[in-house]
Amino acid sequence: MRNVGGARRGLNFWLLQRASAVAMAIFLPLFLGLALSRSPLDYAAWRALFSHLAMKIGSLMFIAAVLAHAWIGLREILIDYVHPLAIRLPLYFLFATLYLVCLVWAADILWGLG
Amino acid sequence: MAARPVWLNPLRMRLPIGGWVSILHRASGVLLCLAVPALLYALMLSLRSPADFAAVAAFLGGGIGFLFVLALIWASLHHLFAGLRHLALDLGWGEARGDARRTAWLSLIAALVLTGALGAWIG
Repeated sequence: MRNVGGARRGLNFWLLQRASAVAMAIFLPLFLGLALSRSPLDYAAWRALFSHLAMKIGSLMFIAAVLAHAWIGLREILIDYVHPLAIRLPLYFLFATLYLVCLVWAADILWGLG
Repeated sequence: MAARPVWLNPLRMRLPIGGWVSILHRASGVLLCLAVPALLYALMLSLRSPADFAAVAAFLGGGIGFLFVLALIWASLHHLFAGLRHLALDLGWGEARGDARRTAWLSLIAALVLTGALGAWIG
């Protein structure tokens, strides 16, 4: 159980963590600006906001960035505090599964609107 | 080799301000990680029907729901500011001790003040 991680994987995660952070820092203010400029922000306006294809794609990419960022962050914390691999690896798997479910769920929410 | 006694009393450890911002960056990150499924659930409900939209708005607008919103706003802002500080440090900006302390205080206070302002504006 020594080589469960490659030497380069850490660097890739490090880069992806920063790339997803920048993507979120750009998208979130844009989204809040768009959402808050709809006044009043009632159900019709909220739904109309997500009816555009660009909004659906942008939102799904934002959610994908959140999920990737969350998993890498949890991985880092688990490496620091949970040392036995027999516990740590199932936790990686658990959150990876949970977040993949979240990604498919998000796509279903967005594209289910029609 | 005899086992050496280890006695760490967290109450007697003096964490520098950068350490506080760092550990709160982690704590806020964990909070946001756990909140993701709940937020997706709220998004789903809010887009499903006008009645569900109203129910989500009512829940998040008062009581426990509002505390949840405040916690998430603080966690997002603290994580964002501490994260931007991290990115700056990656690029070699603000690494001198005095600068690092000032930006640590700045991110900590900015997150708290903005959370209070947003909470007052929403509530």
